[in-house]
Amino acid sequence: MNDTKPLSVVIALAAVLVVFLLVAWIGPIINSNLQLDETALLRFVFVAIGLLAVFVVYWLTRENTAWVIGTREVVYMAIGAALYAVFSYLFNGTVFVVPSVSQVALRPAIAIPMFFGYIFGPVVGFFSGAVGNMFGDALTGFGLSPQWSVGNGLIGMISGMAALYVDKKKSMNAVLSISAALAAIATLMWIMNPTLANMMFFDVDAGIFGDAAISLFAGLSAVVGFVLVVLIRYVFRENIDLAAAVTWAILGNFIGIGFAAISDIWINGFSPTVAIVGEFLPAAGPNMIFAAILVPILIGAYNAVQRQIGR
Amino acid sequence: MLVSWRYRERKSLIQAFDPSAWIIFYACFIVSTLFFWDLRVLSFFLAIALVVIFTSGIKWREMYRAWLFICGFVVFFSLLTFLTGRGGMEVYEQEHTITTLRAPFTLFKWQPTLDITVERALFALSMLVRVFSLASMTILIPYSINPAHYGITFHRLGLPDKIAYAMDLTMRFIPTFGRDFQLTMDAQRARGYEIEKLSGGIISQVRKLAPLIVPVTIHAIAGSEDIIDAMDLRGFGIGRRTWLVQLQYRRRDYVLMGLAALILVGSVIASLFGFGKFWVPESLLHMVGG
Repeated sequence: MNDTKPLSVVIALAAVLVVFLLVAWIGPIINSNLQLDETALLRFVFVAIGLLAVFVVYWLTRENTAWVIGTREVVYMAIGAALYAVFSYLFNGTVFVVPSVSQVALRPAIAIPMFFGYIFGPVVGFFSGAVGNMFGDALTGFGLSPQWSVGNGLIGMISGMAALYVDKKKSMNAVLSISAALAAIATLMWIMNPTLANMMFFDVDAGIFGDAAISLFAGLSAVVGFVLVVLIRYVFRENIDLAAAVTWAILGNFIGIGFAAISDIWINGFSPTVAIVGEFLPAAGPNMIFAAILVPILIGAYNAVQRQIGR
Repeated sequence: MLVSWRYRERKSLIQAFDPSAWIIFYACFIVSTLFFWDLRVLSFFLAIALVVIFTSGIKWREMYRAWLFICGFVVFFSLLTFLTGRGGMEVYEQEHTITTLRAPFTLFKWQPTLDITVERALFALSMLVRVFSLASMTILIPYSINPAHYGITFHRLGLPDKIAYAMDLTMRFIPTFGRDFQLTMDAQRARGYEIEKLSGGIISQVRKLAPLIVPVTIHAIAGSEDIIDAMDLRGFGIGRRTWLVQLQYRRRDYVLMGLAALILVGSVIASLFGFGKFWVPESLLHMVGG
């Protein structure tokens, strides 16, 4: 982020929030029936909040070289975003009818921002996730959910934040503890509300979208994913890169998807339980399974290529 | 190495404007459309989209595959909305039944029934109009904006040089990786791999996707070394970037940007005052006795 103008970015984001607060404050005086969750305005407010959070993280760690954007980073940003867009488009269920197991549809594309974030740094990760999701949605014609693009960006950025820490082992343990707590909270909420609908599942054969109650496997997917990640962490403890990539990827996944799902409490008027159980859990849980399997395979392949190229 | 979008110079409405001005108009159009579910308002956006399509100068044979995909996708999702009523519950509370269709058979004592309601039918139609307008405006961009202008366009929209160039490269890489994916899939199919017949549990199925995802990703990274070298040799990023093409806004571009701002501001204000919510004609309700 060498050539950004930090102050102008903060002012622009703050201006969006101020304008929104003014609308929320003055709006009801003019129109007593004003309900902001029925307008599309809130989506853009959450984009500003998400970007502001990204900016704060950058500002606090700006001295770290992980934020430097050179030629390689520019090219990898583009490759990551394009690959994520193409894979999202191909595996979204409209081009290939990809199989699903017990309500968990195969969405392997999420491994791309995680992998690019971890290997090439937080800026590449954020760009791959955010811009890739935007282009992927545009290719499919799904319209625009900018807060989900920021959420996807956060997945890539946080996956890359491993580079901000010198002691990777120590940071991994902290990250695992936070992820364990988040997985436990979400799963506990599902156990207390097992009949809630799965808002993320689209069953092509039965034509079900957001109608079926969450299956046992989808409800437990965060726990299954977490166990897989812990296994990889300890089975590959000698390969620090592999363990750290998967560990940071799950935290990114929890925070990124969590941001988008929680924003839907205001944007779509979901209750916090529906947002966490109906949206967060069925999206974040399976993502962890894909992360635990595909990210290590990609890192293994990348390391082999790196040895071959010698860079 | 790069596969380009099917751009060529045409006599078209889009190409009559500066690409940056068009992208601003497009962004305002997309955002504004999201504010509405009222079929009358959405028809206005559809009309704009249709004008742009019919003045795009793109021949049917050039992009019939894209149109077939969009139409198939839009009709499929609208039909699904109509059959299941999904999504509609967020915009209407009451339904007025026109007729109820019952299947002449039962499945395990369950008789499939379809309630055709005024609200479901209109919501499906509104969704069709909305998604078609968004998708068609999007799909025209790669056919109408010169790939050589992507970078300068994003730069003129206020993005820093490096981010603008990354956006430029992203747009150029998408068709390349699409083709690489197809080649990889064909190669794996020749070895007996069938994506449609993945079997086993979830972990096994995810692992079986690796033969598609890993080669495309690693090939892209390995191939990028040449691009990085070429950019480094030309001194990329060492100073303020200049662009080969100079674009200038003309009066018509300012008019287009003004119109875009007007549509956006108008949409925001209308939405805040409660206009543009899901609409059902009174006459239709009277017809079904509502």
